[in-house]
Amino acid sequence: MIKFEHVGLRYGIGPEVLSDVNFTLEPGSFHFLTGPSGAGKTSLMSLMFLGRKPTRGLVTMFDQNVNDMDRAKLSKLRQKIGVVFQEFRLLPHLSAFDNVALPLRITGHRESEIKSNVDELLEWVGLGDYKNVLPLTLSGGQQQRVAIARAVIARPKLLLADEPTGNLDDNIGFRLMHLFEQLNRMGTTIVIATHSQSIMEKFGHPRLVLDSGTLHVHEQSNWVQKNIEGVY
Amino acid sequence: MSRFSKNKRLGIAESKGRYDLPLNKGSASNFMIVLVALMTFLAMMALSATFLLNSVTHHWSSGLENSLTIEIPAVDTDENIRSQEDIQALSQRVQDTLQPFAEINAATALTQEEIQELVSPWLGEDLAVGEMPLPGLISVELSSRNPENIQSITEAVKAIASDIKIDTHETWLNDILRLAGTLKISASFVTLIIGLTTITAIAGAIRSRMAEHRDDIELLHLMGASDMYITKQLQRHALILTIKGSLLGLGAGLVIIAAMSLLSSSDNPVMPGLSLDIVNISGLFLLPVAISFIAWITARFTVLRVLGQMP
Ligand SMILES: Nc1ncnc2c1ncn2[C@@H]1O[C@H](COP(=O)(O)OP(=O)(O)OP(=O)(O)O)[C@@H](O)[C@H]1O
Ligand SMILES: [Mg+2]
Repeated sequence: MIKFEHVGLRYGIGPEVLSDVNFTLEPGSFHFLTGPSGAGKTSLMSLMFLGRKPTRGLVTMFDQNVNDMDRAKLSKLRQKIGVVFQEFRLLPHLSAFDNVALPLRITGHRESEIKSNVDELLEWVGLGDYKNVLPLTLSGGQQQRVAIARAVIARPKLLLADEPTGNLDDNIGFRLMHLFEQLNRMGTTIVIATHSQSIMEKFGHPRLVLDSGTLHVHEQSNWVQKNIEGVY
Repeated sequence: MSRFSKNKRLGIAESKGRYDLPLNKGSASNFMIVLVALMTFLAMMALSATFLLNSVTHHWSSGLENSLTIEIPAVDTDENIRSQEDIQALSQRVQDTLQPFAEINAATALTQEEIQELVSPWLGEDLAVGEMPLPGLISVELSSRNPENIQSITEAVKAIASDIKIDTHETWLNDILRLAGTLKISASFVTLIIGLTTITAIAGAIRSRMAEHRDDIELLHLMGASDMYITKQLQRHALILTIKGSLLGLGAGLVIIAAMSLLSSSDNPVMPGLSLDIVNISGLFLLPVAISFIAWITARFTVLRVLGQMP
């Protein structure tokens, strides 16, 4: 599903934010991505959702080398990826409904189908009464739920969520984690960046730990650091 | 407090007519409409000027184009005055000679009275017939005008008497046509400039719209939107604005043209009134279509270009 080989990333002429990152994620897997603030979690995610290209190394997504892929192919791949951005990135002039509907519209679904799917999902995340409201007037947690609904509406093959429960109380946070688990059981590969010890402990998925530019894996409840190359 | 209630009102998203980008907002749209209206109006004026020129030159030249005048001079090459009988005999021989030419519809000798009428404005009304030697004039109507015909007619007539003159109205015609041609080229040039201005303005407007919404466009890309998905929306937006603008311009132009054709009198023999036939009117109505098409194409290429430059 995802394979990074000796991947490095720097912004402009700055220092390397990621240096020599190596890992492989199998289809249908579920990982937490963690590490101190500024370690490069969001940067690593942006490579995975094809928002940037690495400055060095090889990124393979869905068995395809993305380094020199053309625009048309990239957008096809991106349609299979759902992303919850750390800062949500909802379109401010579109209602909650239209924001969530966006991935379905981009992939050309019929309006009737869009309406029933989006309505159902918005109900499910507890925003049934806020369909026609602009993101601006929603609370942080409500915006986050819209962002999550938008990321999962098109049943992506890969879901990347950057701090998806950061603004939510444990109750709704766990509820959304269960949504991710359910998606995972239906075959979606999932990577969730989080700081929350309670969530990581409760759900116990393997952890990808970023520290000073390199990535290590912690298998479930295994606190011994291992280099990812040793694992796979 | 007032800020709060304002936000409350802003909080309900109104229907966007299916744009993912907030294209309907802002005064930039109104500016585009006004600009396109103005361009359409100017193009209409240039186009109707061309129509007017066409009808004026047609009016002036149609009497001359397919005709020529054969003159039997009143004084022959030896300075002898030709008698009326000589002229009539020559005139008859010319007519007989011209008879076999297929491209000649009619060859009519003008009577002395008619010729006198023609010259009277210059020589005075009460000039008695016979007092002054008058030339013989034969008016020839051609079914078609081409240099070979005129050449063979000239040769045939010159064979009768070498001093018989053939006036093909060539210089007069050429002057009119040259003038009209120059004016028409100017009108086309103006139209070209209008077209280029429209293209530049639309491309510029699209570029600034895209710069304004760069983050949103980038987000659409990240969600897997193809370049075409984004292009279609901007293209439709540009098309709707141009249709609105060009219809406005068309309306204004039609009002002006209607006023002009009412004011210009059609019984002036030199300046025919601006009377538009169905072809001309269709031409005017096609202008908004043409301008909208230009806008649509311009929008498409501009958007695709700008998207191509984005990561
Ligand atoms: N667009 C950018 N341009 C330049 N530098 C950037 C950019 N984005 C991130 N960085 C730098 O890259 C480093 C890693 O940032 P990143 O956002 O990936 O960290 P993070 O692990 O997501 O942190 P957090 O937990 O606070 O979200 C930081 O030092 C940051 O300054
Ligand atoms: Mg981050």
